[in-house]
Amino acid sequence: MLIFAAKRALTDIVNNKFLHIVSIVTIALSVFIVSAFSLFFNNATDFLDAWRTGVRVIAYVGANVTEPQRTRLEETIRNLNGVSVVEFISKDDAFNDLKQKIGQQSSLLDGLDKNPLPDSFEITLTDSYRRLEDIEKLSQSIGGLPYVEDVEYAQKWLHRFNGIYNLFKVTGLVLVSIFFIATLLIIANTIRLIMYSRREEIEIMRIIGADEEFIKYPLFLEAVAQGFLGGVAGILMLYLAFILTVPNLAPETVFSFFEIRFISVKFSLTIVLCSMMIGWVGCFFSIRKFLKL
Amino acid sequence: MHAERKNTIIRMFNVSKRYGKMEALSNLSLEVRKNEFIFVTGPSGAGKSTMIKLLYKGESASSGAILVDGMNLARISRKQIPMLRRQFGVIFQDFKLIPTKTVFQNVALVLAVAGLKPKEIYPRVMDVLERVGIDDRAEEFPPVLSGGEKQRVAVARAMVGGPKIVLADEPTGSLDPDSAAHIFQLLRAVHEAGATVIVATHDQQMINNHDGRVVRLEKGRMAREN
Repeated sequence: MLIFAAKRALTDIVNNKFLHIVSIVTIALSVFIVSAFSLFFNNATDFLDAWRTGVRVIAYVGANVTEPQRTRLEETIRNLNGVSVVEFISKDDAFNDLKQKIGQQSSLLDGLDKNPLPDSFEITLTDSYRRLEDIEKLSQSIGGLPYVEDVEYAQKWLHRFNGIYNLFKVTGLVLVSIFFIATLLIIANTIRLIMYSRREEIEIMRIIGADEEFIKYPLFLEAVAQGFLGGVAGILMLYLAFILTVPNLAPETVFSFFEIRFISVKFSLTIVLCSMMIGWVGCFFSIRKFLKL
Repeated sequence: MHAERKNTIIRMFNVSKRYGKMEALSNLSLEVRKNEFIFVTGPSGAGKSTMIKLLYKGESASSGAILVDGMNLARISRKQIPMLRRQFGVIFQDFKLIPTKTVFQNVALVLAVAGLKPKEIYPRVMDVLERVGIDDRAEEFPPVLSGGEKQRVAVARAMVGGPKIVLADEPTGSLDPDSAAHIFQLLRAVHEAGATVIVATHDQQMINNHDGRVVRLEKGRMAREN
């Protein structure tokens, strides 16, 4: 039954080339838009994650802290939850570092009577402790420790990026949902159009004694095949656009920590599978109307 | 009496069909014996096509009862309708061929629907196409055929499943006299092969030239039977 239905589906696709091509192109474009947005969203998320990996918390130590007090403080910080590495930066090291960074203008620093920079600890966080709330909580804990004068963790930037990240997340979900529903409606209507163009054929089949399965199976197979072909075509279109566009963007020259990636094979397969399912669902809703007795 | 009942293939008891306020058939009662040849005649709008539709359950009767080969059409489930329709071969004035399928595929569809395998389908379809004289056009599509050829394909489709009953709704209505005569010969051949044939037509000349019971409908009612 299934082989026969598949043969009939294939014959129908060949006989109704134009409608099927229109349908496949429509699905391909919808898949292209959804997966292009996913590609952007995935990379934006990766970018923000990669950027946040570089975030360090700096704890400035008071001027009159003795060596044993400082060692105790370092030990206390190291034992806090979420702390991965604690590195002591002496005020002399910080001063030399500053000198190196400002290069030719370093002579400006020669006029200073004494080194104005404090001793500090540079604290790297564990991977699981990179959310803004976690960083804030940890900074507060460190700030409350004795001998710590101030704590810094690029608050402004982190807040801004966190806002962008959340905006991406919400916009991403809303847009993907909208495109998903739009794709479903487009496919359902395209199939309805195909069914409408074949209503006479369906009527004839029923007159000669075809049962619902005989009529439905090829239509479902056609819809799923359309979903598959449209899904694959959409992903291929995106891949083509990706390999033609991304080398020109060369983001690695600006952000050394980040490289734009294409959507994963698993995700591509999920999109194709979803596209096939949408074909099935679209067919299901269209068919109900046409097969009512 | 009992033997006569056993020989009856279609019974209609006080059958009425209403479309809104319009009554297309009104209290029609009719018995059709096995292997009978019947003309259903009457002017346009008399209810001929409605009667044909009710028999293959293209429509359901508003009231009354229809029995086809012992099956009460009012009581059969949706799933049983395809089985009922496989007992019929139906021919229409507008042929009702699928334009995107070849002549062979149009005819073969009846057997495919009944679940036959392709190797069983091929010889049966070619045989029936040969009998209606259209085997040389088996790979053509209906739009390139003449009206007479299309109707021969429709007759072949009605014949191929070996139906108990053949229903023809104005089968010669859009054909020239020669083609119409040919179609009629084919219907006769189907009848001779054992099928019950019901032809709805308003072609009086055809009725006069052939044997068969004549049922005349007027305004949805039985006007005369002879």
